[in-house]
Formats: sequence, structure tokens, C-alpha cells
Amino acid sequence: MKSAISASEAQIRLLAKWTAIMGGIVLVLITAISVASIAGRALYTMANLGDGEGWRVMANAILRPIGSFATSLGAGPVPGDYGLVEAGTAFAVFAFLPWCHFNRGHAAVEILAGMFPGWLNRVIDIVSNLLMFGVALLIAWRLYLGMSDKMSYSETTLILQYPVWWSYAASMFGAVVFVIVSAWCLGRAIADFSDQGEYHASEAVH
Amino acid sequence: MSNFEIGLWSFPVLLAMIFLRIPIGLAMFIVGIGGNYLITGSTAMMFGQLKHLTYSTFSSYSLSIVPLFLLMGQFATLGGMSTALFKAAEAWLGHRKGRVAMAAIGACAGFGAICGSSLATAATMGQVALPELRRYGYSPALATGTLAAGGTLGILIPPSVVLVIYAILTEQNIAKLFIAAFIPGILAAIGYMIAISIYVRIYPNSGGVRERQPYRERFAALIEVWPVMLVFLAVVGGIYTGVFTPTEAAAVGAAGTFLIAFANGGMTGKSFRESVLATANSTAMIFLIVFGAAVYNGFLALSQVPQLSAEYVAGMGISPWMVMALVLVLYLVFGCVMDSLSMILLTVPIFFPIMMALDFGLPAEDFALWFGILVLIVVEVGLITPPVGMNLFVINSMAKDIPISQTFRGVLPFVITDLVRVVILTAFPPITLFLVWAFH
Repeated sequence: MKSAISASEAQIRLLAKWTAIMGGIVLVLITAISVASIAGRALYTMANLGDGEGWRVMANAILRPIGSFATSLGAGPVPGDYGLVEAGTAFAVFAFLPWCHFNRGHAAVEILAGMFPGWLNRVIDIVSNLLMFGVALLIAWRLYLGMSDKMSYSETTLILQYPVWWSYAASMFGAVVFVIVSAWCLGRAIADFSDQGEYHASEAVH
Repeated sequence: MSNFEIGLWSFPVLLAMIFLRIPIGLAMFIVGIGGNYLITGSTAMMFGQLKHLTYSTFSSYSLSIVPLFLLMGQFATLGGMSTALFKAAEAWLGHRKGRVAMAAIGACAGFGAICGSSLATAATMGQVALPELRRYGYSPALATGTLAAGGTLGILIPPSVVLVIYAILTEQNIAKLFIAAFIPGILAAIGYMIAISIYVRIYPNSGGVRERQPYRERFAALIEVWPVMLVFLAVVGGIYTGVFTPTEAAAVGAAGTFLIAFANGGMTGKSFRESVLATANSTAMIFLIVFGAAVYNGFLALSQVPQLSAEYVAGMGISPWMVMALVLVLYLVFGCVMDSLSMILLTVPIFFPIMMALDFGLPAEDFALWFGILVLIVVEVGLITPPVGMNLFVINSMAKDIPISQTFRGVLPFVITDLVRVVILTAFPPITLFLVWAFH
């Protein structure tokens, strides 16, 4: 058991890490979409400026052609940007879960742990890793059923008209990796116990 | 057992799990599921909700601001802005006694304007300012205490992740909360500077001075920090004027700090990956708690504990100010052992309806903003109080030769100014609300 856990540690770490990095890349894409949409909205407003009064006449006369030119090239608000941001955030958050759990990064209260004997801490470790594994399974299972619902209703998004289940399917990726990684983490906690090894405090002490 | 009793019993069970070191979000989820089962008698309702609850929580447009603000803060740490801010603050303040430490506080406040996280602010400013403070002969206690306290400005000065969560929980306007946080944040920085000046008077050997700098150099140092100003104005100004949504503002901020880091050569493949992974860790931590809290609070609402306890407290006839004092003290005590976001997600759904039912002589919205700022401050004090004040450990880990007890002692004056500030802001709500009123 212990050898299997330590033998697979590098691969699991890589899996969790690159899943998180993929989530991060999507987060950067969300940033780009939002910024492009703001810029597009500004250009669109500029293209539709009226004549204005006073000093605005001059300003509008300069801004309007810039806006018209940019919008004629296809600049404008990104259609369905809010929906894309939502789907992208969901993908990213699901993709981040395994990495945080692998690093023992979840917020926990450590104040009493220092007073517990080592064996008790390792038992608690097993219990909380078991619970996390159960929750990971539950989340992935229910998400899958939710996705099936959306498929059978053929629900589509409001503006871009793509099927809603696509976003669920994208999120499934992180949810499945979370199941794999939390199963491995449970193995790690058990191996630590049988090993009577060092007790690892979680990294994010608060 | 009645539903109300089940709801009440969930508190000791939840607290026991949390103190047994079960991750807080996980514990809230489990207790929420279990309590729901006890009340409804089956898993059907909960499991039905779970088909869409996870996705809808993680894809919430208003919550998407959180990872974007975290990413913005991470990119901000790469851009050399911390060094520029410290140099500028030092050029203006550094020549009098204790002023290098005050400069560190000023720089933390500036960094807090583009970073919504206390730990990131403490870690980043610590790397820049700690070696300088020690070079000028500041005592280990004062140097580490200053930076641990300065780090909390990251979250006290908007943008602030904690305020975003509070806004979502209580359905308040994020822009108004950010505006309301502004003056208390500045007061925090001023309070910390006063603490330093008193400290160096009591212990004259604890702080050194540096030579006065000519005005030409001062302005040159100030010009270096214009990108920080620009990003801050774009983010907070954009939200406030309604030009873009808070989420878009966070995206603009992330893009801005990305460009600054890129222009300064701080953005490499490696540092990009590290920023993303740090963002991933904090985001997953926060969303697990938010998700667990959504399940737990759903159960609590079903048990009617928040509504009934609000009616009960309002009917007791004790002074609202007494209740306020009790709540704030409770936050201070819990802050010693628990992180700020968990505390807010755990308590605000219960305390907020109770407090809203009491009469403080303020309109409902003003009260919600004022209470949010008070809660923000008291939970942040938890970051610099022993035994588990996270900022203390972040700063202390940078100076291996300084014992943690020195850091505990050094932060004490700052904690005292925090408490004084809480009392002042509680007694005079207009200090917090003044700017919100002025903008309307």
C-alpha cells in the first residue's frame, strides 16, 4: 500500500498541478474576454455618439469616427460574455479543487491539533480524507446527473445558444480529477497511519 | 426533536468537527447534509438540489470576482510594485525616527489598493521591507510586528475579497461597501503609524533613521508608483461609476497587474505558473467553504434558527449596542482560532438577521454597510492575534533568527490601535458612511 502511494505521488502531483494550470489559463481567458467586452462596449458607445454641445462637439467629432471605424471592423461587446465568464469560472474552480486538496490547503482550525497525541491526529486525517473523498464522489455523481438533466431538456444558453450541458461537461473534468486525487490522498493518510510516520500539519493554518 | 432544536444542535456538532481539524468547508457541508436529512426525513431533496447546486455555486457571476481578484493580487506581487511603493513612502517619510517603519505601513496601504488579500500583502511587502527595516536597526519585534499589521491593510483597503463575500451573503452593493471601507482603511494606516511613533518613544533603541531626501528625488520616487494608482482608479472607479460590473473590474485589475508585471520583466513562464497555482489554492479553499456554507445555511434556513433567534433577540429588550458589543467581542475571540472567510460565512447568515432586527437609528442599507465594515475589521484583527494569526507566521518565517514570541510582542501595539478603531467606528457610524453619503 505504502509503496504504491509513494510510487504514484509524482504522477498525482503532476495531474493535480496541470489540471489547476488549465483552470488558470481559462481564468486568464475570462480576463481577456471581459476586457475585450469592455473595450468593445466603449467603442460601440463612441460610434453612436450624438453631436453634443459646447466642448463635446469637438470631442464627439473625434471619437465618433474612431468608434465607427473600429465597429466596422467588427469591434463591439463580446456576445454572451457573462455566460462565458460563468462557465469558465465553474471550469476553473472545479479544476482548482484537486490541487488544493493535494497540498492540504483547505482551511482548518489547528489550535487543538497540537495537543492531540500523534495517533489521534492520524486517525482524524484518515476520517477527514475519507469524508473529502465521499464528498468528491457525491459532487461528481450529482454533477453527472445534473448534466444528464440538461441534455434531456436540450436547454441552451440565452445568447450564444450552445447547449448548457457543455459547461457541465467541462466542469466534469475537474470533478473527476478531484475524485482521483482525493482517493489517492485517502491512501496517503492511511499509509501515514500504518507507517506511524510524521504527522503533516495542513499548509494553510489560519 | 423539533426542527429548531435540530438547528441548534448543529452548532456544537459543527464546532466539534471544526476543532477536530476537519476542513471547515467540508464540516459545514457534512453537517448541512446530515441536518437536512434529519429535518426532511430523506435524502431526496438534498440530492436533488445537489445536481445543480455545485455548478451554480461555482459558476455564480458575482462570485467569479473572487478568483479574478486573487489572480490580480498574485500578478501584483510580480511587478516590482512593492519595491516602488516602499521606496516612494520611504523617500517621503524615512528621515525621522521610526519613519522607515511608517513608510512600510504606507507602502502596505498602497499595495492593499491593488491586492485584496492580507497574506499576499504581508508576504510581498515583508520581502521588500523587512531587510530594509533591519538594515536601519529596527528591533526584530517592531520590524515583524509592523509588517504583520501592515499586511492586514491588504484586505481593509478596497478591493477586498472578504467584503465581496459579505456583499453576496447580505445582498449589498459591492461598490458602496468598497467606498465605505475607504476611510476606515486610511484610519487603520494612520493608527498603525501612531502606534509606531509611540513605540519608538518608549523604546528609543528600537528604530533607526535614514538621511532626508531632496524633493526632486521624492517626486521621482512618487512617479514610479503611477501604475498602482492607475489600476486602483480603474478598478474602484469603474465599479463605482457603473462603467463595468465588479467582475469586469476585477478582470481589468488582473489584466492591469499582468501588464505591469510583464513590462517590468516579472512575468515569466515560471512566475506565471506559480501565480496561477497560488490562485488555485486560495480559490479552491474559498469556494469549498462557500459551497459548504451554502449547504449548511440552506439547512439552517429550513430549521428557522436565524429567523427565530432574530425575533428572540429583538424581543429581549436589551440595548442594541449591548448586542453589537457582544457580537464584535465574539468575532474577536473566534478570530484567534479561525480564518476570516470561514468566520464570515459561518456567522453572518445568523448574526445579520439578528442585527437587522435591532434599531441603531440607521436606515437598513446604511446599517448593513456599517456592520459589514465593523465585521471586516474585527475578523481581520484575528490575522494578527496569537496563537494562530496567519500574518504573524508569514512574516516570522522570513526572519528565521527572530523568535515568534518577539513577533507576538511587536504586534501588540497594533492590535491595541485596532481595538481603539473598532470602538471609534462603532460609536460614530458617520465616519464609515460619510463617503457613501457624499457620493449620493
